[in-house]
Amino acid sequence: MTRIRALFGVAAVAMAVGLWFALTAPPDTLQGQYSRIINVHVPSLWLAFLAFGVTALGSIVWLWKKTQRWDRLASASAEIGVLFTGIGLFSGMVWGQAVWGRAWDWGDARLTTTAVMFFVYLGYIALRNAVDDPVAKARRSAILGVVAVVQVPLVYFSVHLFRTLHPIQSISPGGSNMPPEMIFAMLVNLAAFTILYVALMAARTDVARTEETFRESELLAGDAVKPPKLSEVKDV
Amino acid sequence: MSFWGQTLEIARVDLRVERRLGDTLRIVLPFAVVALMVFPLSLGIELAVIRRIGPAVFWSLGILFGMQVALRQSVADTQERRDLHALLGVDPAARFVGRMLSGGVLMLAFLVVLFIAMVLIYGPTLPPGSWSTVLIGTVLFSIGLTELGTLAGEVTAGLRNRTALASLIVAPLALPLVIGASQSLEALSRGTGILPWVLLMLATDLTLAVVGVGLARPLEEATR
Repeated sequence: MTRIRALFGVAAVAMAVGLWFALTAPPDTLQGQYSRIINVHVPSLWLAFLAFGVTALGSIVWLWKKTQRWDRLASASAEIGVLFTGIGLFSGMVWGQAVWGRAWDWGDARLTTTAVMFFVYLGYIALRNAVDDPVAKARRSAILGVVAVVQVPLVYFSVHLFRTLHPIQSISPGGSNMPPEMIFAMLVNLAAFTILYVALMAARTDVARTEETFRESELLAGDAVKPPKLSEVKDV
Repeated sequence: MSFWGQTLEIARVDLRVERRLGDTLRIVLPFAVVALMVFPLSLGIELAVIRRIGPAVFWSLGILFGMQVALRQSVADTQERRDLHALLGVDPAARFVGRMLSGGVLMLAFLVVLFIAMVLIYGPTLPPGSWSTVLIGTVLFSIGLTELGTLAGEVTAGLRNRTALASLIVAPLALPLVIGASQSLEALSRGTGILPWVLLMLATDLTLAVVGVGLARPLEEATR
């Protein structure tokens, strides 16, 4: 618990530093102050991709080793990935409303595919909630976790695959068209969001472990209550 | 019996059951055609709009009712039948491919009839070469949707809210198929190539086939 608190403390400090850089970096000449949204939008979606990648990895290793901790890792990462996708979608819509004049644009393939990815992982969470047996839950969701990750490259490459309004990658191997101060602020925020992701993962897997212990103790309590034998019952 | 022998036998039995019961062509298809008629009724006599939206409505209804076709088979697959297959030593991968084949054939028949109905009801202006493009798109769409339906059906087998849950899983994952199928027709209208969209559908189908065959055994265990 102390370790998780410490992680959240580090995450809070990192987020504060990220916020300071986001607010002090020079604004874009065309987009003005709205360009600062990129410091939340891009890191949250990068972290969502990472989270869903971890879900797929955890699912594959679970199918291979059948160890419960990989299932905890996969499910926790999926939940946090959905949270980050939600943040990324919302911040993108706020930016779209300010810059394009509309929050949702059907000409933006990245927006649409991201929303679909959000629903794919909502389905993953719904599937987990529908199964009671822990092993069946882990096995079924591991299979879906492997299938669902196919959506991630589709979202990432959507800006190249389709005619879209969405800006292409902020940073690519060929360089960037953003000023260095903006890139630096975005990278600081990316680091802060990553620390937050690690803290949330530690907390969520800890809760999952506690839930499992609770379930086991519940079973033990249930097993302790046995019906009396006829020979032990008097006055029959 | 060889892998392909098992596969063809499973597909044959599935199709024979469908021929006797006729759920897809006698219930789901008429329902889809009725839904096809609802759109023009709600739009009024806007002939230009009706002509324009025809193919889009076809693909929308294709995925909605296609999911029923894809999921119907796995719903009909009872635990007793699964146990029997397991006792007979049927390869889980052969079961997946067999189900994919029979579902694909049914889905293709369903979509072809639905497309003809759409052309008759909506009268869309189709560019030259549309029929072959639609056929390619429909075949790839059918295979992909059947693969997804089989996977989702297996993953949700035995759950109380199975139908809703399986639909929630299939609908968003089928996005590359819907995009590929609908955009190939659009590309033909614009005079641009359909190859990227065909490749998108083909890549999706192949990925799902590899995943389905690779995970067939864990899928089999998941339903026990």
